[in-house]
Amino acid sequence: MGGQAGFGPVPVGEDGEPAFAADWEARVYALATMLRRRGVVNSDELRDAIERLPPQQYLAASYYERWLGALETLVTEKGLA
Amino acid sequence: MRYAAGATVRVRAADPEHHTRVPRYVRGHTGEVVAALGSWPLPDDSARGIAPPRIETCYAVRFYAADLWGSGDHTVTVDLWESYLDRP
Repeated sequence: MGGQAGFGPVPVGEDGEPAFAADWEARVYALATMLRRRGVVNSDELRDAIERLPPQQYLAASYYERWLGALETLVTEKGLA
Repeated sequence: MRYAAGATVRVRAADPEHHTRVPRYVRGHTGEVVAALGSWPLPDDSARGIAPPRIETCYAVRFYAADLWGSGDHTVTVDLWESYLDRP
């Protein structure tokens, strides 16, 4: 929500803070990385799919919940699900 | 490469139906090219599966926060592809 009024500052983590708040977040990240590395999706498709999430879902979701929602959209659209 | 470092550019105000990397907060605003960052696939094409995507120079463009939001002493630098920009 960068640059959007009413959402407060963007939280910035401390150096040395764990990259993932929970194991499932690391698995979502790994899944996205493998799908990109194998050429199934590209980063711009992933960003686009995040932006296409229904607004209620987007606003209620955490960062990696948005990634997961976008991956679900893309594997469905590409006939892999 | 259309713009050199130091050039003044205006961001196109268009609001496309498809994915783009132009943040709404810089649309229609004027900034200064800080650097050309080389040639990269246009995300608007890559996001839609257009193959091959257009390849364009991407520029780091600096804006004054006060111009974008009416206050603030800092600047904001945004990576923008060539077709997002016009001469003012």
